[in-house]
Amino acid sequence: MSLISLPFFIFMLCFLCIYYKVGEKHQWKALLVGNAIFYVWANPVYIIFIIISIVSTWFLMRNPVKRNFILTIAINLGLLIVFKYSVNLGVRDLAAPLGISFYTFMTLGYAHDCYDKKIKPCNDLWHYALFISYFPQLTQGPIGTYQEMHDQLVAYHGYNRQNIKEGGYRIIIGIFKKLVIAGRVGFYIDTVYSSPVGRGGLTLIVATLFYLVEMYADFSGYMDIVCGVSKMLGINLKENFKRPYLSNSIPEYWRRWHISLNEWFMNHLYMPSVTAGWNRKLSRGLGKIFTKAKKGTLRCIFPTMLVWIVTGIWHGAKFSYLGWGIYFAFIMLLSFCTQSYIKKLNARIHWNTNNIFVKIFQVCRTLLILSCGEIIYRSESFSDMVAIFKGIFTNTRINGAEIAAAMTPFGNGNQAAASVIIILVLVTAQAVIEIKKEKDEKAFTGHRYIYAFAMLTIIALFGVAGKSSFMYQAF
Amino acid sequence: MKKVIITVAAALIIVAAVVAFKNVYSCKMPIRNRGIHDAIQTGDLDVLFIGSSTFRANIDMPTMDEAYDGRVYDISYGGNQLVATSIQYDELKRRSGNDYGLIVFELGPMMLTQEVALSDSRVIWDLTFEGKRELWRSMYAAGNTDFPMFYEYFVTSGMDDLITFPVTEPFYGTRYYKGAKTDETVSPGKAVLESEEFDISDKSLVKAQADAVVDIIQKCQKDGQGFVFLESPCYHRLQKDPTFIKYREEYIRILEENNAPYILADEVDFESDDPEFFEDMNHMSAKGRRAYTKELIQVFKKRFGTEEGSGND
Repeated sequence: MSLISLPFFIFMLCFLCIYYKVGEKHQWKALLVGNAIFYVWANPVYIIFIIISIVSTWFLMRNPVKRNFILTIAINLGLLIVFKYSVNLGVRDLAAPLGISFYTFMTLGYAHDCYDKKIKPCNDLWHYALFISYFPQLTQGPIGTYQEMHDQLVAYHGYNRQNIKEGGYRIIIGIFKKLVIAGRVGFYIDTVYSSPVGRGGLTLIVATLFYLVEMYADFSGYMDIVCGVSKMLGINLKENFKRPYLSNSIPEYWRRWHISLNEWFMNHLYMPSVTAGWNRKLSRGLGKIFTKAKKGTLRCIFPTMLVWIVTGIWHGAKFSYLGWGIYFAFIMLLSFCTQSYIKKLNARIHWNTNNIFVKIFQVCRTLLILSCGEIIYRSESFSDMVAIFKGIFTNTRINGAEIAAAMTPFGNGNQAAASVIIILVLVTAQAVIEIKKEKDEKAFTGHRYIYAFAMLTIIALFGVAGKSSFMYQAF
Repeated sequence: MKKVIITVAAALIIVAAVVAFKNVYSCKMPIRNRGIHDAIQTGDLDVLFIGSSTFRANIDMPTMDEAYDGRVYDISYGGNQLVATSIQYDELKRRSGNDYGLIVFELGPMMLTQEVALSDSRVIWDLTFEGKRELWRSMYAAGNTDFPMFYEYFVTSGMDDLITFPVTEPFYGTRYYKGAKTDETVSPGKAVLESEEFDISDKSLVKAQADAVVDIIQKCQKDGQGFVFLESPCYHRLQKDPTFIKYREEYIRILEENNAPYILADEVDFESDDPEFFEDMNHMSAKGRRAYTKELIQVFKKRFGTEEGSGND
């Protein structure tokens, strides 16, 4: 059931009525039933796997000893690997259960926190099931932690008109981003990236920049809808994006993009790896080669590589995802290793990092590095990736013919100019909003009804109908 | 709650007004150099082409202008279908009392295999609401409709053009002349044309399109309208394709069964194996379009006598 669909709208309407009607004692139970209905709607058979995951993890982690922790990891990762990489394992028609990647993250995070004694294991199986299966965040996150979610989920939330309004407004923003912005540029990207060979550099650059726009509009739009739906239920979810494209550096970008996933990796893979014995041994070995390097820097190298390779593989068993992970591991390591030199260099050349032009330069540099990574990620094959890089770096010219060629993927020649104008207006408006919000978080918080009216009108007239699936659902 | 209702209602009213405007009045927008409205504004015509992008690319209007003293026009849409062509003919007859000496319809064999669909949002723009409804009914009858399609057809399709009309129209207006392309397109070269992959072997006949051919013929015959079906040359590789030949024969069979005049590609003195003349398998380069149009005029004059062309053999 897509979050942008009539069945979901009806489901939500009915569910809200029941949720606020059942009373204090039964509200969380109603939510649990709602989760089950949402899940069964997708594919009734697959509920069995989420039940296996919930019951086994809850049962094993009641006694969070090492053996149980390892067993929990084995069961959950086993299910994830079997389903997610089934095509590569030769089991061709095995579709992955809804949200398996995301609920596995939550499950493993919970198990790790129990094992590390950061939290007390959940006493109530139903409460634990409610946390794992909470339907708004089930399919694409955000990856909530037990500490943040448990109390909110089991607490009673009385009907609050303000929550409904705020949630509704957030949902409108999400639908706008998805159907108007992402939907509009998506067609262009698909056309160019499905056959990049022989295309001009300008077309490839436009498609790559559009891909950045699509990814952000699609994913953050989904998060807006999820947070809006959750807000309507009186439950606040963690924000997953904080204007990532205004980051000054790649490490900063990853602190502002898909925040919950990156925090998960930081807490449950990176930090444990840094302190692990194997890493100490390996970094000691490296220290003998790089005698001048700091100990701290050396200790970050292998965990960083591990995190980024796992992140790449998590997206799927494709060369492009692995390549993307290795690319960002390299960039992050480069950033760590050169950090102190760059600081010294900045001081020597009196490079004022607060200067607006310096900031613009840094943001553009981040976007450039990011774009290269996204080319690796989005390319359908290795040869396509090579063709795209080659096209951009050796075949970019700006003249009438190239501009005309760059307009072609918009589809019908008649609509090219109209599409360009609308995309430029929308992207510029979105950029202005983000820049203003970066300076002042409260910007654009007034006149909500006017913005809602404008967005509803634009969605109805310019939304790309039939585009209800989201990019991250695939993961 | 009152504010929420007002916000939603206001948005709905605006949307309804814009949608109504698009569906009812878009056909009267002052569009230059293309479409039904502009063709009607041109007045009486000796030769009027109605077809797809093939006609748009393959007919050189300045050359036609010279031969017919400006009394020519080319109504063409991307992937225009026979079902839509029949509706476009009705629109012309309903909306104007103009005299059309000869109407040239497209004899594109593969048009018989196209699913009934909206191929070009410009079709939506150019039709009256009645025409739009008619096309929708045809799509519905062919089983090619659902709610997203309905929404796209009546609401979002062509909306981009409408909202950006003042800015984009001057740009589009220069790209066409009397409905045909003005771009100086060049051939990509023999190597590209010879290696371009195409596979039409899985295409099958769509009955609605075949019925539309009969419908067009019957309407023209009933109206006493001069007409001819013209096969525009494709690059020789496509013309030799067995599937292409099969549907070409089928198209000719329909025309002959209904006593409709037609001109086949080989009746015009034109080298369809010269790569310099083509941009791709179906569309000619500027050089090809000029050479072809010159020869086509000769055939027209021979077949239909004078500039006033009766359309009847």
